[in-house]
Amino acid sequence: MATQTMVGATPRVSLGFYVWIGILGLLVLQGVYSFLVQTIEGFYVTSLTDTIPWGLYISALVFFIGASAGATVIGLLIHGFGRTDYLPLATRAILVGVVSLASAVLFVMMGVGSIPRAMLMPWFWNNPTSMFTYTSTSYYLFGLLLLGELYYTVKINRGSATARDARIAKWLAISAAPFALMAVHAVTGSLFAVLKARDFWNNPLLPPHFAVAALVTGTAIMLLVIITTAAATKRELVGRETLAHLGGLLGFFITLAGFFDLFDLLVFTYSDKLATNEAWHFLSAAHWPLTAVQVLGYAVGFVILVSGLRRSVPWLAAASVATILAVASYRYNLTTVGVSMPLYPFIEHEHYVPSLVEFSVTLGIVALALLAYTVLTRALPMEEAVPAAGGAPSPRDVGEPLRRPAGDGDRVVPPAEVPAR
Amino acid sequence: MARNGMVIELDRCQGCRACMEACKVENNTPQGNYWMYVFRLEEGEYPDTKVRFMPRPCMHCDNAPCVKVCPVQARFKNENGAVVVDWDKCIGCHYCVVACPYGVNYFNWKDPEKAQYLDWKDRALASVTGGAAPAYQNPDLMGRYGQERRRVAGGGHLKGVIEKCSFCVQRVEQNLPPACVAACPVQALHFGDLDDPNSDVSKTLSRKRSFRLKEELNTQPKVYYVGQSQPGARAHEIEAVKARR
Repeated sequence: MATQTMVGATPRVSLGFYVWIGILGLLVLQGVYSFLVQTIEGFYVTSLTDTIPWGLYISALVFFIGASAGATVIGLLIHGFGRTDYLPLATRAILVGVVSLASAVLFVMMGVGSIPRAMLMPWFWNNPTSMFTYTSTSYYLFGLLLLGELYYTVKINRGSATARDARIAKWLAISAAPFALMAVHAVTGSLFAVLKARDFWNNPLLPPHFAVAALVTGTAIMLLVIITTAAATKRELVGRETLAHLGGLLGFFITLAGFFDLFDLLVFTYSDKLATNEAWHFLSAAHWPLTAVQVLGYAVGFVILVSGLRRSVPWLAAASVATILAVASYRYNLTTVGVSMPLYPFIEHEHYVPSLVEFSVTLGIVALALLAYTVLTRALPMEEAVPAAGGAPSPRDVGEPLRRPAGDGDRVVPPAEVPAR
Repeated sequence: MARNGMVIELDRCQGCRACMEACKVENNTPQGNYWMYVFRLEEGEYPDTKVRFMPRPCMHCDNAPCVKVCPVQARFKNENGAVVVDWDKCIGCHYCVVACPYGVNYFNWKDPEKAQYLDWKDRALASVTGGAAPAYQNPDLMGRYGQERRRVAGGGHLKGVIEKCSFCVQRVEQNLPPACVAACPVQALHFGDLDDPNSDVSKTLSRKRSFRLKEELNTQPKVYYVGQSQPGARAHEIEAVKARR
């Protein structure tokens, strides 16, 4: 039997790993406690009101939906553009997508008055004129798409995949990109954009803006995944050139997002709507720290990513963190400013600051997402087993057109040819 | 099929908020929920100021944004044109709240028992009520109301759902005006079929110039205001009743 090498062998479990899991577990528990308080006592334990009914939960939902775009960016790079150097990231990217989407759905559930009814009613009573119907349907479908992708990718990694499986994985990855951009991110933007009662949201640019912001979040998170995985496992997942390439791509997405931000505000300023003054008031007075984080975050990220600094891993990490903070601030400002603007010119502004319960639940869900990602990356094979010279070729066969070998059909590559993990 | 609407004579309204009270009593709305709300507004700068009032029920729009956006069809228009809520379907997603340009929707933040104005467990209260069961426990008031599946007025409200003015469907069916209209001491509120030229509302509308709130949004509200112009940006609210629980 030929000597075989393995990429991505599971490292030995260290004490730091257990500490990490323990901290996350505690954060999840405190989140569960706050969730129970909110469920039993009612939503009056939050800072939400009848005037400002959407706050931290909806902002977090929008952020995590954007984070799921990482899966589509990496999948498209590998399968659409033949960038095989991103292959070691494929499974992790899908996992980030699955975990982010699940977190987003959890945030939806945190914000509804009755979780059982929210899970049950849409199956029987769907309103075709409601954007909520389309967003929830697109989340379900995107979830199925990602789970399908994860299933076949894990199968490939385990060495039990056929050429047909690899083809399915490829086309799932390719179709996930347009589906996510149009049916998930843009439709989430439409959830806000169609509301004519809210001047700050009622803007046809909002859906594409959401899609671009999702690309920024997803790419920045994937960069952080690469960097933190390398730091934790003392092994680089991808080469420096690939890292710099992904950094450049993030720089391009930030440029696009900045373009949308700029022209969004420019057109809005000239709209002469009453809401214009109100929006400026909120962004500059009550929300100025987050507005500053948004502008500076994008600026710092952009400068690092378009310069030679992006070849330095610490700078790249700094750019990713700055960008993620910028997008999170944008999402929070957009949601809370949009909903805070008074409906009548003669009533007082109401300001929203999330309550301790809301912070606690949000922290709990973020910790749960990190915990799920950490556990699943250890439980599932994250990278494809690479056979030594003379071994069976990978069924994925990326880089070359994936064609069914003549007469080979859907032959399962026997374990003797592809090493088990 | 009537197309019921409301006409509010602003020059008659004296801001007594009796309509708000009547609505609360009729519908047993939880603390902080005002299906009918009266804005008390002040215009101008001291000493040259003017006080005016503007009652605000649900507008029962013909082109209602809340009906469009409700994901589970809990919002719908009944045969009389009133926009009503099926509390048994509502999931409490707040999408109708953010879609409504008039701010007429209220979420039930607490259990109905905890959202009462009176402490029904207080023994001293029994001497006043004669030991009557609180409305949230009265089985007669918990039933479903006809096709609307709306709980009968005064009955138990559900935690975690969104509710609003129903034009008192339970009274209208008995040919009674909504509670707010019946309670107004100066008859500033009129209710009736907007399509019937002989109705009180149509006659009032034909006599005076009217406006509707935020007509530019094309929601086609069925609540008309007459007697005064629309309050502008120079007005500011005074003596506001906080909506929060």
